[in-house]
Amino acid sequence: MTENAAGAEGAGEGETPPVHGVRVRPATVQDIPVMAGLLVRLKRLNEEFDPLLKVREDAEERAGKVLQADLGQPQSLLLVAEGTGPDEGKVVGVSRALVRERPFYLPEREGVIQDIYLLPAYRRHRVGEYLLSETVRQLKGKGASLVTAEFPAQNQIATRFYAKRGFRPIVSTHAKRL
Amino acid sequence: MGGALPGSRTEPDSTPDRAAEESQQSREAEEETREISRRAVDLARHYAGKIEVVPRVPVRGLRDFAYWYTPGIAQVSREIHRDPGLAFDLTGRWNTIAIVTDGSRVLGLGDMGPEAALPVMEGKAMLFKYLGGVDAFPLPVRVKDASGLVETVERLEPALGGVNLEDIASPKCFQVLDELRARLSIPVWHDDQLGTAAAVVAGLLNALKLTGRRIETASIVLLGAGAANLATARLLKALHADLGAMMVVDQHGILNAHREDMDSLMLHHRWKYELALSTNEGRRKGGLPEALAGAEVLVAASTPTPGLVTAEGIGSMAPEPVVFALANPEPEIWPAVARAAGAKVVATGRSDFPNQVNNSLVFPGVFRGVLDARARSIPDEVVITAARELAKGAEARGITPEHILPTMDEEGVFPQMAATVASTCVELGLARVHRSREEFLALARERMERPKRLAEVLIRNGLIPPMPPEPTGNPSGEMEEET
Repeated sequence: MTENAAGAEGAGEGETPPVHGVRVRPATVQDIPVMAGLLVRLKRLNEEFDPLLKVREDAEERAGKVLQADLGQPQSLLLVAEGTGPDEGKVVGVSRALVRERPFYLPEREGVIQDIYLLPAYRRHRVGEYLLSETVRQLKGKGASLVTAEFPAQNQIATRFYAKRGFRPIVSTHAKRL
Repeated sequence: MGGALPGSRTEPDSTPDRAAEESQQSREAEEETREISRRAVDLARHYAGKIEVVPRVPVRGLRDFAYWYTPGIAQVSREIHRDPGLAFDLTGRWNTIAIVTDGSRVLGLGDMGPEAALPVMEGKAMLFKYLGGVDAFPLPVRVKDASGLVETVERLEPALGGVNLEDIASPKCFQVLDELRARLSIPVWHDDQLGTAAAVVAGLLNALKLTGRRIETASIVLLGAGAANLATARLLKALHADLGAMMVVDQHGILNAHREDMDSLMLHHRWKYELALSTNEGRRKGGLPEALAGAEVLVAASTPTPGLVTAEGIGSMAPEPVVFALANPEPEIWPAVARAAGAKVVATGRSDFPNQVNNSLVFPGVFRGVLDARARSIPDEVVITAARELAKGAEARGITPEHILPTMDEEGVFPQMAATVASTCVELGLARVHRSREEFLALARERMERPKRLAEVLIRNGLIPPMPPEPTGNPSGEMEEET
């Protein structure tokens, strides 16, 4: 399955200085419904890039279940960005990641960023960068010494976002419908 | 926008009975439109083209060709080769524009293709000549994508003093205008965006004045997120309107930064996406009724859907609201209905009601101005100056709720607009020629007057044949024989 990360639109050079307006904290079970909604938004964005990423009708319900399952797993990392100011207490962004073993390669513990999504109003203010750096920091805390991110090959915005932060492609997923 | 419907000018009062009467009027106007449409086809066949190229130079005999063509012209060519800027002095480039379309959104008809767009562009070229004294070439091109269109226009630049883009689908039109404005060294204009937006802004400036409001604080609702309204929003922003208080309503409801379709807009329509991010700070949700509640101004430029705006909607706005219902041919709400519901100032796109918001009020003066200044571009700043001048032009006859904009017969306004546009280009460092405002005004008057004199002479001498008589029983019969 193709996982992904996006929501980092335009967080480039020459942008306004950091105005976070959010705090990042670990997700709780109460966050799941909102997080599921945000995840489905991300999947719908991915759908724009490739018909093989077509979102199922029951995606939101499934997202809730996936998040529920993730929440109890020690290898999983679920963070939310919570608004301050006018959106105080509102979940405006989500990051979903996990740590996995690489049986054949070194370094052997890989932190995989599966999904990052921010509501549009919070982009371009370095919130995406903040959420990413918190995710990376906590993956490191779980023993990862390599971090990867998965997103649709055609998503140029995500490609640029990660490239700017030192990420480069190491494996490609090539798909063919059967 | 700006398609004028026939019919006598009315001064409706504000009773609901009047509304019924207006509906009756609209039915009559529709019938008249059908009649006109039939005759337009006959006339198109009869005249087979609405413009033609005529020499600007005397030809006393064949020997004169030696100046206008070889061998003499070779030296003119060498001069321009040495200094390409001389093309504006030694050829007609200074007064020549192209009206470029891909035919992807012709009038309200949709994607008609370049061939079907030609009569419309020809008509526009005629208006450019007659109203602005501008030599405009109708150029529908067979190009589908935005970058192909940009490239095509870019290649035409050496022959042109300006470009008018016309009838290009949204959002393609935004990308094409943005890129051409950045790439070319001549003014590029998209009339469906800028012409209409400038007329809207001019009308709004006076309507706000009449209702004791300021643009910086007025709460404005835009209904429709097409070329005209997106450009209007951009100009209003430049005029320091409160974007956070502004609401834009499209077919999915009020634009807001949290709307479900935002990511799709980010990829496919970044102009609308930007607007969603910068407007509606309170993130109000819902549709038009929710947007209108308490609003002071409505600018409706939507796909024609009569009754889209209701009396209740107007009634829910702030006291004495300003209502622009610009859909053609049927406005989103009939003026009498809007007034009965409390609207203080009502404008439409039609010539048979007061306050016609029409891009013909704008493009002739603007192009006369930029061409006379031989401007390198026409930024929004200049567009705003033109809008202000148009608003000022209405003052000559006095600003009232029935007269916030000049009508097409207030001819004194347009050379003034041209002179202001030209002077602004000089001030902004965009002009290739520098003259005083008075000189520009005199030039504009002369150049805008000339085509009318020309037409007069041609008609008087029978070089433009008279209009064939209106057919009575069998419409096209007699006329076809002549073609």
